Amino acid sequence: MKYDAFSKCHPAVNFLFFVGAIGMSVVIQHPAYLLAGIITGAIYYLLLNGKKGWKTILSLLPMFMILTVINPLFNTLGATPLFHIGSRPYTLEALFYGAALASMFVIMMLWFGCYNKVLTSDKFTCLFGNLIPSISLLLVMVFRMVPNFIRKTQQIIGARKSIGKGISENATTKEKLQDGGTVLGALTSWALEGSVVTGDSMRARGYGTAKRSSFMIYRMTATDWILLTVMTLFVSLTIMAASFGQFAAAFVPNVSIAPVSWGLVTYICYLLIPTVLHVKEAFAWHISRSRI
Amino acid sequence: MAHFQIKDLTFSYPTAKAKKSLDGVSLSIEKGEYIVLCGKSGSGKTTLLRQLKSVLAPHGKKQGEILFNGTPLEQVSQRDQSAKIGYVMQNPDDQIVTDKVWHELAFGLESLGYDQKTMRARVAEMACYFGIADWFHRDVANLSGGQKQLLNLASIMAMQPEVLILDEPTSQLDPIAASDFLNTVRKINIELGTTVIITEHRLEDIFPYADRAIVMDGGKVIADDTPRNIGKLLYEQKNDMFAAMPTPVRVFYGSNGNGDCPLTVREGRTWLSKTYPEPTISTLPAEELDDEIENPALSLKELWFRYEKDSPDVLRGVSAEVPMGSLYAIVGGNGAGKSTTLKAICGICKPYRGKVKVFGKPIEKYKATELFGGCLAMLPQDPKSLFVKKTVREDLAEMTKDEKKIAEIAAICEIEGLLDSHPYDLSGGEQQRSALAKVLLTEPKLLLLDEPTKGIDSFFKEKLAAILCKLKEQGITIVMVSHDVEFCAKYADMVSMFFDGQILTTDTPRRFFGNNSFYTTAANRMSRHVFSMAVTAEDVVELCQQNREAQV
Repeated sequence: MKYDAFSKCHPAVNFLFFVGAIGMSVVIQHPAYLLAGIITGAIYYLLLNGKKGWKTILSLLPMFMILTVINPLFNTLGATPLFHIGSRPYTLEALFYGAALASMFVIMMLWFGCYNKVLTSDKFTCLFGNLIPSISLLLVMVFRMVPNFIRKTQQIIGARKSIGKGISENATTKEKLQDGGTVLGALTSWALEGSVVTGDSMRARGYGTAKRSSFMIYRMTATDWILLTVMTLFVSLTIMAASFGQFAAAFVPNVSIAPVSWGLVTYICYLLIPTVLHVKEAFAWHISRSRI
Repeated sequence: MAHFQIKDLTFSYPTAKAKKSLDGVSLSIEKGEYIVLCGKSGSGKTTLLRQLKSVLAPHGKKQGEILFNGTPLEQVSQRDQSAKIGYVMQNPDDQIVTDKVWHELAFGLESLGYDQKTMRARVAEMACYFGIADWFHRDVANLSGGQKQLLNLASIMAMQPEVLILDEPTSQLDPIAASDFLNTVRKINIELGTTVIITEHRLEDIFPYADRAIVMDGGKVIADDTPRNIGKLLYEQKNDMFAAMPTPVRVFYGSNGNGDCPLTVREGRTWLSKTYPEPTISTLPAEELDDEIENPALSLKELWFRYEKDSPDVLRGVSAEVPMGSLYAIVGGNGAGKSTTLKAICGICKPYRGKVKVFGKPIEKYKATELFGGCLAMLPQDPKSLFVKKTVREDLAEMTKDEKKIAEIAAICEIEGLLDSHPYDLSGGEQQRSALAKVLLTEPKLLLLDEPTKGIDSFFKEKLAAILCKLKEQGITIVMVSHDVEFCAKYADMVSMFFDGQILTTDTPRRFFGNNSFYTTAANRMSRHVFSMAVTAEDVVELCQQNREAQV
């Protein structure tokens, strides 16, 4: 993974940031804010993924188009019909509305993409381990089991192939199914045997003898507290702006959009937090290195 | 007060009617002792070890008493037992519960409900002591077998146990990782005073350092003494377990040595130079290898392979020729590409350059049914990956309907008595032989073996060697990949060194190991200053005898 300053922060900070970013993006329909969301989300996504990120972002474009043009097919409200399909009008306002909904979708995809990169499985379980210890342990074990199963399946298939029991090129579907069933059966008994050992190993290490505690590898640092404060500040300001009606936007039947005001600034500031951290640290590193 | 006091312990599994798995075992283990428990597979070692921790003790009929620090074990609370009695099992993979190294280290502490501060300190301490700090944040899936087992040990040591029980902990590891692991165990014993009770096949590494060795046979303790005396005892009793003793011990008694029995290679060297200061006969005949091999059973020409487009090459120009009807061994370090070479031979991996010819015909020209039906077959590293049915018999029947043939192969592999067992109920050596039987039912002319001696005790190794000899007599060519230099030195016809993705040297075992000074057998390391070309304990014994006769 690429080096990222925000990813190093406490998982709680990461998690709350994404709750805020994604939470706000699903309710805001104001075009200026949508545009801000797309740009900030895309920038951070690119910082996390490097050149490969462009591919994902470009692949969102056709998605955006399709969602935009589809909306007027279902939503016939709107003052300015462009043309008619049968008796149903295809309106300009509905098209705008579709673009807004598609933008929301794109923003969510971008932020969820970032979320996946930043909040890895271990951070997630670490975060919720204390709340629901047994479920979080279960999750951890599943995370380990899935790649294990894949590896063992490949091993069994390889082993069978090398004694001539693999699927030949011209096998019928029935033969393929039968062979798959055999492999699955072998995998099951193997897994069951392994789970007995795992169970022994858990009990040998005192599983179930006391109330489980949860080891937190991450600590809240001063930076984390500052970030939390800053995040809370920006979110409250943005919510305040919303309560003044700054985000109001209606598309059908007539387009009416509130004028852009200071709420946009706080919103953008909030969304830029990870980007700013990333750039700042990269920059600081660059300077300290050039001094050597 | 003894740490563990076992009084007349008798135990039998509910399924075995009259057979006692433990029969009147009485032992006393002092605090801080390092104890090696040895015995053949099925002699009751694991059963005994499991009795020492209540949650792991199997169900069955039990008589007798176990005292831990003077208290009957049943009365010691589960919590105390979890923390104070550490237990490391055989399989490095299945013992691990979580997906991250740091989480696994903390697992035991989490179970016991320690607070953050204690956990932080303990985890940090353990990571440093075991040298885990570098891979602290890694996924468990990306660790090597040796690292996994070290992690298992560290996560148990984090609970600060008073006694550490290890049940064949290195049977799945390669020799270097194994001796690393055993050195760590020894370090724990010496530096922390933790009592250690260990069972092992690889006695070479631990036998000299143990305070006491306990030998079990048929559920009974047949010997309990210092390692030096145990060697003598087993030799005098002509016990099968003598074959598992370290090389110096076997050489010493094999050649009727006088004085104190050497346990380590160093002691062995001193003893040899004292006994044979100027040997009249100092070398054994070592045949040279024919350069020209006519009609090789297998020929590899400049194989290049990598697993992914951007990953480094694993095979970097592997070339080899294997003569018909020989046992060809490939040795070399971990991850050098030995197993990949075997996979390339059977077409599981497709080399992007180079040629594989089996019996003179390029492998692509074979049809799959033709190649694997009576020509080529491979025994994979983990025999379990071949078992798909409920009994060994059904598994064998999957290969052929001909019951006579099954009976014949079962006789060769000596598994007639195991046919109705579930493959998973067998011991490592029995599984290996059952899997071999399944492979042999394809009637291969070229047999590939991937680490056939992994996890097998010396007794089963000899059985396996006998089977391989029988197969060779039938004209089957065997290509084997192995870490086990002792086994290769003793039974192979040709040995190749695999390094850096290619085969560097090939020679007869005597010349190969005789000319190496590090990567060689214990017998050679012990004797190379007086004898040359002696690579097995038998070789050294033979030279000793020849010299004695020459002196007389």
